[in-house]
Amino acid sequence: MMCDECGVRPANFLLKAVTEDGVHEKNLCPVCMAKYQKKIPGLDFSGLAGILSGILESKAAKAAEPDNGEYDALVCADCGLTYPEFKKTGRLGCAHCYEAFKKPLEGLLLKLHGNLQHTGRIPGGLKSDASIRYHMEQLKQELVKAIAAEEYERAAQIRDQVRALSAQLEEAEKNG
Amino acid sequence: MAEYLPAPEQDVAVTARVRLARNFEDLPFSHRQNEMQGEECVRRVCSAVLSGEEGKAYTLYRMGDMDETIRQELGEHRLITGEMVSARHGAALISSGKNVSVLVNEDDHIRILSILPGMQLDRCAELAQKVDTAIGEKYQMAFDNRLGYLTAFPTDVGTGMRASVLLHLPALTAQRQTGPVMQTVSKLGLTLRGFYGEGSEARGNMYVLTNQASLGRSEDDILRSVTAAAEQIVAHERQTREKAEKADMLALQDRLLRSYGEVMHARIMTAKEMARRLSDIRYAASMGYVHAPIGALDELLMDLQPGSLKRSAGRELSDREIDALRAERLRRRLEEIGRMD
Repeated sequence: MMCDECGVRPANFLLKAVTEDGVHEKNLCPVCMAKYQKKIPGLDFSGLAGILSGILESKAAKAAEPDNGEYDALVCADCGLTYPEFKKTGRLGCAHCYEAFKKPLEGLLLKLHGNLQHTGRIPGGLKSDASIRYHMEQLKQELVKAIAAEEYERAAQIRDQVRALSAQLEEAEKNG
Repeated sequence: MAEYLPAPEQDVAVTARVRLARNFEDLPFSHRQNEMQGEECVRRVCSAVLSGEEGKAYTLYRMGDMDETIRQELGEHRLITGEMVSARHGAALISSGKNVSVLVNEDDHIRILSILPGMQLDRCAELAQKVDTAIGEKYQMAFDNRLGYLTAFPTDVGTGMRASVLLHLPALTAQRQTGPVMQTVSKLGLTLRGFYGEGSEARGNMYVLTNQASLGRSEDDILRSVTAAAEQIVAHERQTREKAEKADMLALQDRLLRSYGEVMHARIMTAKEMARRLSDIRYAASMGYVHAPIGALDELLMDLQPGSLKRSAGRELSDREIDALRAERLRRRLEEIGRMD
């Protein structure tokens, strides 16, 4: 099939545009496709990052479609912030608002971050399993480094710390 | 000059900065607090930070107790945010080396800032995380296993981390290359924008590169991606500088060194003009046309802003007096630190 635009080169792309008066399709060669890419902002396939962010954005856009007031009755029981107040300012009132407005917030967070699962640091004071596991992972990495650097005394100390933590974890699991 | 040790990639990277946003679990966020709850936040942060091993290095600044000039000076040195300069509320614990600032009752209960010259994001993160650990060991933070650290604005949730590098990009700006760079970094979940000035203006050719997303990526991931992108931009800027030199070295020297001449003879200097002139001199210093420690030039850009000038003069100054004092200080300082072959 030849390119609908120039009629000279073979078409490798199908450009589909959905407008008010229907669906328009065009078979395009790479050269003519490049011209369209320039004309339409956001249509950029020059790199993998572009494709990925394009997919993420469309997924996020779907998730964050403007709500039609269906969540306006939500109120945070802890601080009294209402969902319409949050929509106006973009600020939450307290930590518990995240639970109170969970549903509408998920779409927003997905749009902002492209993700809904935290990976990273955990508060030093929180004695949760997750925290202990996190510290253990950190220590294990340090242990490997210490051994590689032939710092055996330090390695032994770290190993003892790891053992203590894993005992703590087992204890917590037994009780929990 | 011993006091200005060169920092990594300093010819292009001005400073690296890490910000961590944290909140106490049991108190409403800053903007919905009463006075007592706000005071409780200050008490907790002080008790955790000041009792730590490096506690003696910190000084507490209460915004309500301070002159506007002092707040302005702290803002000009990026130790407190613009909001704290104008709002009179909140407090800041600032380290003696002026590398770490713990803001209390800003948008979040706690915002830990750490800032270092050149490209030292990892070191910045270490400094900030040390403070974070000290507070987190003592008090329960607003944290969710799924969403991570909970913050007043949903944009900061997760790690609560913003890692940024301030970049000096005179050659890329002159070649109108910053637009394409901005587009490229946005695909990587980062933003590059003008630092001083409003809108698209980048006064003094200064730009900030920052991560956008803070949820779903670990601190190390964020630091790595910002550093990698910053390194790319630094390389791009260096190539463009070299190209400009290759194309017409005499014209480049002429253009940049004229600013040196202007500064040495000017009697009135606005902040806007200073930013432009210092940008040229910084560029010239990086190419070896002028000998001046780049760190000292960067310090001048902050030290000669209105609040800092008023503070050092010890009195209120009119706009005209500020511009005259700026011209004088700039000239004197460059006479001290600058040298041309």
